[in-house]
Amino acid sequence: MSFTRRELLERCAAFGAITLATSIPLSSLAYAWDEAEKKRTPTPFCELGPFYKREAPSTSMLRAPGDSGMPLALAGMIYDVRGEVVPDAKLEIWQTDNLGHYDIAGYRYRAVLEPGTKASYAIETVMPGHYPQRVCQHVHYLVTAPGHKPLITQMYFATDPVFDGDPDKNYTRDPLITSRELVRPVMIKGDPKQMVAVVNFDLVMETL
Amino acid sequence: MRGLVPAVLMLSAATAAVASPAAVKVQLPCESSYQMLSPTGAQAVLFCKDKSIHVVNLPDGSERLLFPAARDVNALSFSQDGKWMAAGFPDGTVEVLPAQGAGATRQWKADSNRIDNLYFFADGKKLFVSAMNHPGTIWELTETPTLRVTLADKFGGVSSVAVSPDGKLLVAGGGDTVIRWYDTATWQKTREYNGFLLDTFALTFTPDGKYLLAGGADSRITVFDVASGKELRQLPTEAASSVGSIDFLADKTQVMTEYFDNAGEKPPYRLVWNITTDKSTPVQIDFRPTCGSVVDGKLWLCNTDGKTLTISQHE
Repeated sequence: MSFTRRELLERCAAFGAITLATSIPLSSLAYAWDEAEKKRTPTPFCELGPFYKREAPSTSMLRAPGDSGMPLALAGMIYDVRGEVVPDAKLEIWQTDNLGHYDIAGYRYRAVLEPGTKASYAIETVMPGHYPQRVCQHVHYLVTAPGHKPLITQMYFATDPVFDGDPDKNYTRDPLITSRELVRPVMIKGDPKQMVAVVNFDLVMETL
Repeated sequence: MRGLVPAVLMLSAATAAVASPAAVKVQLPCESSYQMLSPTGAQAVLFCKDKSIHVVNLPDGSERLLFPAARDVNALSFSQDGKWMAAGFPDGTVEVLPAQGAGATRQWKADSNRIDNLYFFADGKKLFVSAMNHPGTIWELTETPTLRVTLADKFGGVSSVAVSPDGKLLVAGGGDTVIRWYDTATWQKTREYNGFLLDTFALTFTPDGKYLLAGGADSRITVFDVASGKELRQLPTEAASSVGSIDFLADKTQVMTEYFDNAGEKPPYRLVWNITTDKSTPVQIDFRPTCGSVVDGKLWLCNTDGKTLTISQHE
């Protein structure tokens, strides 16, 4: 048996578990509870890094046929701190190829996405590589939206060998990882011949 | 840090007036894989493997601990006369202290984010501060430093800054790839250049103040006319490398340009560009330098054998 918040409040009130001031209707209390539960903490920021490039193509397919590296499906939602979706956000995403090289001259593994009212995004790419000046594999994000602070962050993979299987304990091995929250679980899906790494990374923006 | 270029090596003052011996050898007080020279060549800062920072006076080799490892310095810069140093910390604190001798140390919270870049104005009375992802700020270095102005940008903070030789113009390269020009009398933005798609890591005015040279992740130097703000030309590209620094040499037509391999797999290297002919000459060095600065118009390089630090001039 399950109850809506309103039903639960009504039952509690009926059994005397809560006492309501006459001026506060149950619906208001339920709404306040809902709002409190929806609240989200802003996504921790990271540095922009030296290889951000403007005017990336609008595409969700960053992987090309024949590219080396494990395919990666990366998706998420964009929220504000009240838990509401941000309907007019623009995402810029960039990463290295599987060998740890950024495309400076061109736009490989760079994309701009405008998720629209659904505020959800999904890209098909490959697992980024390691490179000498950074400890961990990562994907860069720049998210902008009217009325919100620009969000600059990076997403990391819990499967990164740097973490030795324990990102809780070892995420600080990369000094640029500002929060454990940015290290995301990786699920492997598909059949053995066509495995895909799947990662969910929601973004929470602060209002101005 | 912005990744490629250690922040402690960025934005160190470029002008210098004191000459020193052609080669100096001093004992290392710690294991140090990279160093920074003061603009006058009178001191070398040693970044030690244990994360402490020492300063060595040249040529006598006397040294002192500047910051213990626990201070976790992220940015360090000399004033242009070499008399003061500014250090930036992860918690947004900035400390200005005498490079040698006595003087009051000033410490204040300049930002909530990590301090990435520091740049002294020529008079030593103002300090440009930029923190990760935040707009650049100008601080008056009074007894209690005061915020003079915040230089707004879209996002990404400031990667490079330069002040014109007459002090009237400040140019800042933003992480958002925009180059912004400011009148230092009013601090109003006077111009914006949106022609770059990538970040700019080095900005330098010509000694006569007529031209501005910019270089960064696009692997080449772009020359601007200061009076009009227009892009005049771009020097040839160095493939797969970023411009990390641009410094004028003594003859004022040549610039020493340091390049960093974008993949981080090869050591940095240097080219001398003649900006009247747009031709370059590689700097031939038979060792891997652990520092490089233009002091008094000449290239000074460091070399270590683990126990000693040798600093030499190169023509």
